[in-house]
Parts: sequence; structure tokens; C-alpha cells
Amino acid sequence: MALLEVNDLRTHFFTREGTVRAVDGVSFAVEKGRTLGIVGESGCGKSVTALSIMGLIPKPPAKIVSGSVVYDGQNLTSLSERKLEDLRGRKIAMIFQDPMTSLNPTLTIGTQITETIRRHYDVPKSQARKKAIELLEEVRIPRASERLDDYPHRFSGGMRQRVMIAIALSCDPKLLIADEPTTALDVTVQASVLDLLDDLRTEHDMAMIIITHDMGVVAEAADDIIVMYAGQVVEHASTLDLFDRPEHPYTEALLGALPQIEGEGIREGRLTAIPGRPPDLIDPPQACRFGPRCPYAGDDSCTQQQPELRELRKGHWVRSAHPASERVGAARREGAPA
Amino acid sequence: MTITDAREALTAEPGASPASGAPIRQSNLWRDAWRRYVRNKAAVVAGTVFVVVLLYCLIAPIASPHDPDAVNFALSSQTPSLEHPFGTDKFGRDLFTRTALGGRVSILIGFGATIAILFIGVVYGAISGFVGGRIDNGLMRFLDALYGLPYLPFAIITLAIIGRTNTWTMMIALSIASWFTTARIVRGQVLTLKENDYVRAAKAVGARWYRILGRHLLPNTLGVLIIAIFLELPGVILGEAFLSFIGLGISPPDPSWGAMAQEGRTVFRSHPTAIIVPSIAIATLVLCANFVADGLRDALDPRTRES
Amino acid sequence: MSQDGVLLEVKNLHKHFPIREGLLIERKVGEVKAVDGVSFEIAPGETLGLVGESGSGKSTIGYCILQLIKPTSGSVRFEGTELTDLGREELRRMRREMQIVFQDPYSSLDPRMTVGDIVGEPLIVHGIGTKADRKIRIRELLDVVGFNPSFTNRYPHEFSGGQRQRIGIARALALSPKLIVCDEPVSALDVSIQAQILNLLKDLQRDFELTYLFIAHDLAVVRSMSDRIAVMNRGQLVEIGLAEQVYTNPQDDYTKALLSAVPIPDPRAMKERKAARRKLRHALAEGV
Repeated sequence: MALLEVNDLRTHFFTREGTVRAVDGVSFAVEKGRTLGIVGESGCGKSVTALSIMGLIPKPPAKIVSGSVVYDGQNLTSLSERKLEDLRGRKIAMIFQDPMTSLNPTLTIGTQITETIRRHYDVPKSQARKKAIELLEEVRIPRASERLDDYPHRFSGGMRQRVMIAIALSCDPKLLIADEPTTALDVTVQASVLDLLDDLRTEHDMAMIIITHDMGVVAEAADDIIVMYAGQVVEHASTLDLFDRPEHPYTEALLGALPQIEGEGIREGRLTAIPGRPPDLIDPPQACRFGPRCPYAGDDSCTQQQPELRELRKGHWVRSAHPASERVGAARREGAPA
Repeated sequence: MTITDAREALTAEPGASPASGAPIRQSNLWRDAWRRYVRNKAAVVAGTVFVVVLLYCLIAPIASPHDPDAVNFALSSQTPSLEHPFGTDKFGRDLFTRTALGGRVSILIGFGATIAILFIGVVYGAISGFVGGRIDNGLMRFLDALYGLPYLPFAIITLAIIGRTNTWTMMIALSIASWFTTARIVRGQVLTLKENDYVRAAKAVGARWYRILGRHLLPNTLGVLIIAIFLELPGVILGEAFLSFIGLGISPPDPSWGAMAQEGRTVFRSHPTAIIVPSIAIATLVLCANFVADGLRDALDPRTRES
Repeated sequence: MSQDGVLLEVKNLHKHFPIREGLLIERKVGEVKAVDGVSFEIAPGETLGLVGESGSGKSTIGYCILQLIKPTSGSVRFEGTELTDLGREELRRMRREMQIVFQDPYSSLDPRMTVGDIVGEPLIVHGIGTKADRKIRIRELLDVVGFNPSFTNRYPHEFSGGQRQRIGIARALALSPKLIVCDEPVSALDVSIQAQILNLLKDLQRDFELTYLFIAHDLAVVRSMSDRIAVMNRGQLVEIGLAEQVYTNPQDDYTKALLSAVPIPDPRAMKERKAARRKLRHALAEGV
């Protein structure tokens, strides 16, 4: 059985302007010890999905309208806030994008780590401190015992993110959700943080969900990937298969819009831009949500009904009426990424 | 590819053309602020009462059949009746009319002094924030020193120096030592706004300092200034009331709420109405201004603005 | 005295920011060398990419060139004219030749001005044309950047990030400059919108014979836009050359490190890199 199973999750925001269907029918599973990447642009609902799993959505105005989040056999959506608090940090931990604002500037990092430990374990302060030092060493912060009593502002962005990871790991969770963990970091620091996450994951036998808009990050860090668009999952496949043979027009377009580092004619060429904008999630139409921007849309199957998420081939799911391998002339596809 | 092709490729949704590129959220900053303000019930009630009081002060003396200055001891110290809704004072003058007249003076002084405060504060604060550096430092240190000045004694001294006490001199006296907070608020705003890229953009285009200040910085401090008005107003109104009450402000027979309170003081035992009426008027206005300021602050707070 | 073949020449540019401490009287205790002796040239019509991580000084260089910040020392020559020597009025006139596009689509547009006012401001500042002329020009500019000109009376907050960037670009074009400093123009945008704006910038360059100084931290974005690339590290220019050369055959260690750290959307390549990094780490941990 999978460690985490999300089934038809729907999280809606009830605002004066209408109901924003931020997450509208998302299903996926995360196996023990594996990394799932959730990729998409802003507004696609990836962060709200993560927050919904943790029960951290602001309610009001948000509410998990339907669907289930089953972790280790327990349905999280039916749990009380108290039970969720017991779960957070202990079984499922989360790290966020901006290390500048995720740490409390008025507390030493030692306090912030030990605070987490003592929330979930009844141990004396000295023992918590020892554990905190071990954790800092594990996240490769040099001179850990000296730095335990430093305040966050004395750390660089990359180090702060490591501290965040240390806090997240302090209670040995089995699932780590990382929401854009490297977006605010410099490229060279990014690589080391991703390496760290990967090593920790193997050592602690942890599953991970990594949320990002960066296709490169997800190519490196994830075993499986789901692509989200307008609150829904539009493609779900293993990392290799997604990049080798992307099926959904949006995935193809996304890969095509990425500037290349190597290749011919880069300077003179144009990037494949996706015209238009994502749809308004208040009362979205009962049609394919990517339709208006899709180069292959046109017939009724795109405008009259929403395509279902179907398994096109083993382990590869697509929500589209016109996936790449079903298009006319698809037989002779090269199979190389865009 | 021509420009037209580029344009179409970039903005057109397949099939559409001129309608594309439309705004994604249609809203008016002021309308949003209004809607937020209106959600605060206390602020709405306070605002309405404020307006009612203003209208009362404006209209009552015109509509009233009584002469506010007519002394008639036969009618002295009457309790409220249909003929005299607030009763009469010890000289037999109709309190309903006099309170309105007094209100005109008090409110005029209040707004006048507030505007003076705003003016001085904005100039000082804007210069300090805009110029920055050592001059800003110096101006702020000087301001810190000024903070020590006691506001009312200074007002009294100013009036003594000027020699005459009328509406205009009261405005000056009350504003002289109370513009410091406004200056500080404006300076803070200007400093923050200066960091915005649109200010750099104006500089990059070659705009001169007065254009940057007048077209970009000051208009964006408007929200803060409106709130400042309703925050300073109570202090000034109370200041005037106090000064007139102790006899150093508006003096009889000119009505002002403070002066009327002073007149009512002598007959307090037997006829409390004469002092209660102006006191309630002062308290009402001050309370309302505070609630309105609160409501405005929430309505205009940029943090609660964006989605 | 103009030099053919060189539009902008930067020589030994320095910008130091003093660190001041002290309670009553602030004293300078040190300085941050944001730009530490940088020199390069840009030819007319070319795009020089300036790449580096945060704190490398790349944006500061852009501001120094436009004299939005006064350089501590060094020379900036535009078409032969030394900018750091110019008086206020002359500098003002020179500003018509060089403009800037900012990174943040939210703070780069005055929220209290309409789109039309924002784009028209450069024209007003330099007294160009009558009100009617300006109206026409504003519409032209918006049209050219792919922004629907019928919305000149709206406010910036009503539009998306990509649309706001277009407004910013229209403003930069208003005075028909020769050089445009693009300071991270797409960093705040989604990938699909990013592609739109990058394509737009390329088209505009061709149609209006623009020269770009393209500043960004995203190596792939810089690569796709630039003819030549300069790499910045802590205020110093560590490598400069043709884009292809710098990326396929980097000379400087920092450039190499930078390039190897860039995530590319190719899972197999990334796996190899990860393995290589792991080997390196273990080798370092074992001790040399």
C-alpha cells in the first residue's frame, strides 16, 4: 500500500467574487522511499495541494470540499486540528520556499529545532539539544555545536534552508513535502541542497514530494512526476518517461518554452510560447481547461466535456483528448524531448 | 516575422484578436477600499454620525427660529423642550442653535489646524525622506528634540505672543507643536516608496526631482495622509475645547464648544444641561473621528489589498 | 569623438558601498565592493548577457551604467561620451538614448498612474509632441509590445505579470533609445509567459535596432538571448566571450561550477551529474 494516497481531492476557496476551485480533482500516490515531483506554473494548485495534505489551508475561506488524503491508512481530511498537529512534524514534515521568512528571526535556531523535538517527544532540553547538534551536522552545517545558538540572520540563504531541513527531519518523518525548496536559492547552492535532500531521503528511508515550477529540478530530484494545470493533474508518469515521451500538449509546450543551454541556433531562434493565459478558476467551464491554448484542440471532445485522466500506457496517465501518441502521424515520433 | 505577426502570436488566443490582452481583474483601488471600509460596522456608524453632526452644525443655525445671541433672562436655564431641544443656557439663549454655531467654530478650528499640521508635516517629512542621507538624519534628530515640547503650553504661549485669540490664531497655535508625528509618518512613507522601481524608472527617464516627488511619491502617500487627518482631528478639537474652557481660547460671546462648556460650568449644580450638551458634542466628534480613522486604516492597508 | 563598432564602453568600473556603524555619529567601518573593477564593451546591435548569482553585482553594473547610481570610480562611455562627467542637464538629454526594463512587474509601475500615463511619462518629461501626438505614440508603443492599446485608461494592478512587463517595455521604448538594460526582465514570470516576453525582446531588437545589456541569473535564459556573455562573481568579471564559447568551453573555475550546477530538463544527464557530484563529495570527505 502506498504511504500517501490522495483521491479526487478538491479544495475550493469561497470568496466574495465566487468560488475558486484551486484544486479540482487531484489524485496521486506516493510510495515509501520514493520522490514525487509536482510541477506546474503559478496558480495551477500545486502549493494548495501540499497545504491541503497537511491541513494547513486557511479555513475560511478555503475548504477541502471532497476527496481524501490517506496517510498510512488514516484519512487526514477527517482528523481534528489537534490530531493533525500531532501528525505535523512527526509523521509528515514540510519545508517552504523562502528561508528568509520561514524561520523566526527572534529565536535562535537551536530553540527552533529543540522546540519541534520537544513538541513531539517528551525529552529533557539537554537531550533535545544534543539531537539538534546531530541534525545540524547531518545537514552539513559546519561547526554545528557553535552555531546552535546563532540567530537566523547570521546564516546565508542556503544554510537557512538546511536549518529548515534539519527542523523538518528532527522527528524522523516518513514523508517530507518540499514546496519550492530551491527557488529562492542561487544555482550553486540549489544543487547542494538537492543533493542533501536526496542523501537524507535514502538514509532515513523517507518519501518526498517536491513541488516546483522548474523542470530541471524535477528532472534531477523526482522519480515520478505529475504535471498540474488549472487545478488538475494533466499528466502523471515516471520522470524518464515524461521527458522522453511527453504526451499532454501542455507538457510538450512547457518543455518547448524552456530556453536551451546547448544546441544549434539558440540565439536566433524563438521559444515556443504558449499563447493566452490559464483559465479563471472561478466557475471553470465544463470543457478541457487547456483547450483554449491548445494547438490540437478543435473538436467537440475538447469543448463539450472534460477529458478524464486515463492510463495511456503502463504508468503513464494523461488528461487529454489529443495526447502525442494518438495524434495523426504519431507512429513515426522520434521520442526525443522537445 | 513582422511586428504584426509577432503581436498576434504573442497575445492572440487562437481565434480571438482585439478582445485579448484584457485586464484580468477589473477593480478600482478606491472602490475596493470603500468596500472594505463599509464592512466595518463601527466605522460606518461613526462616519454617518460624523456627517450628521457636520450637517447639524451647518444647517441648524440657518433653520432655527431663535437668535443665538439674544439674551433673555426670562428663558434662562430651561431644560430641553420642544421649543428648545437642548434647553437654554443661563442667558436664555437657545442651546440647540448655539451648539450648532459653536460646532462650526470648533470644527473649523479643528480642520484648519489639522490641515496646517498636514501641510507642515508633509513638507518636513517629504523633504527629509526624499533627500535622505545626512540631511534626513539631521532633520529627524531635530524632530526628536522637538518631540519634547509640551503641546498645550506651547499653544498658550503662541496665543500670548500673537496677542489675539480668534479662529485663525487658534488654528496656528494648535498646529505649531503637533505636526511631529505626521512628519515622521510621511518621511517613513517616502523612504519606503523611494525604493520602488517605478521611482528608479522615472529617474532613468530623466524626470526632475519635483516631478518624482509630486507625481510619484506624494500621491502614493495619500492613503496615509487621509488616515492622519482623522487621527489628528480629535487632538486638535480637544485642544481647542480645553483652551476655551480655561478661558485662554475662544471667549464669549463667541460660541465654541469649549467656551460653552465654560459658561455652563458656573450653573453646573442647578442646570447641568448647559455643560453636558457641549461636552457630549465634543466627545461624539472625537470618538467618531477615531473610529473612522481605524476603519480607514484597515480599508487602505496595502497588505490586506492584494489577493 | 565616437568610436566605431562600440556603443558602450565600460572601463574599470567600481562601486563601493560603505558600511556605517555608530550610535550618534555614524562612522564608516568598511565597504562592500559591489562592483570591483569591471570592464567590457558592447557593440551596436548586439546583446551582451551579464550572468551571475545574487550579490554578484550584475544589477549594480546596470544602474551604474545608466548613472542611476553614481559609480565610485571608473569610466562609462556611451558613443564616445563620458557619462560620469556629464552635468545634470546633459545627462538628462543622454538618458533618451538608454533605458531600462526592470525585474519586478509589480513595483516597476506606479500604481496610481494609468497605463497610458506610465508609457507617456517619458514623452512628457522631455516635452515631446502635443497631447494628441503623445496619445498616438502611446498607442503605437503598446501595440508594438503586444498590449491591447484600448486599455490605456486602466491601472497596472488590473493586469497580469506578463502584461505589466509589456507595459514596462513600452515605456522603455518611448524615447527610441539605442541601448536598453534588461535587468532580470523575466525572472518573476512563469515559464510560458517568459517565453512570450523573450520572443518579444528579440523581435523588438531586430525591428528597432536595439542593443541590449541582458542581466539575469538564469543561465539558459541568458544563453538564448545573448551574442556574448560576461560572467560575474562577487563584483568581478571572471569570464567574457562568445555565448557558445563560454558555455561549451568555459575557462574560469567559477563559470565551470556555475554551468555544472544548472539544472537541465534531461533526467539522464542530471543523474550523471548527481553521481559525479556524489563521487566528488565522497572523495573530499575521505580526505586527499
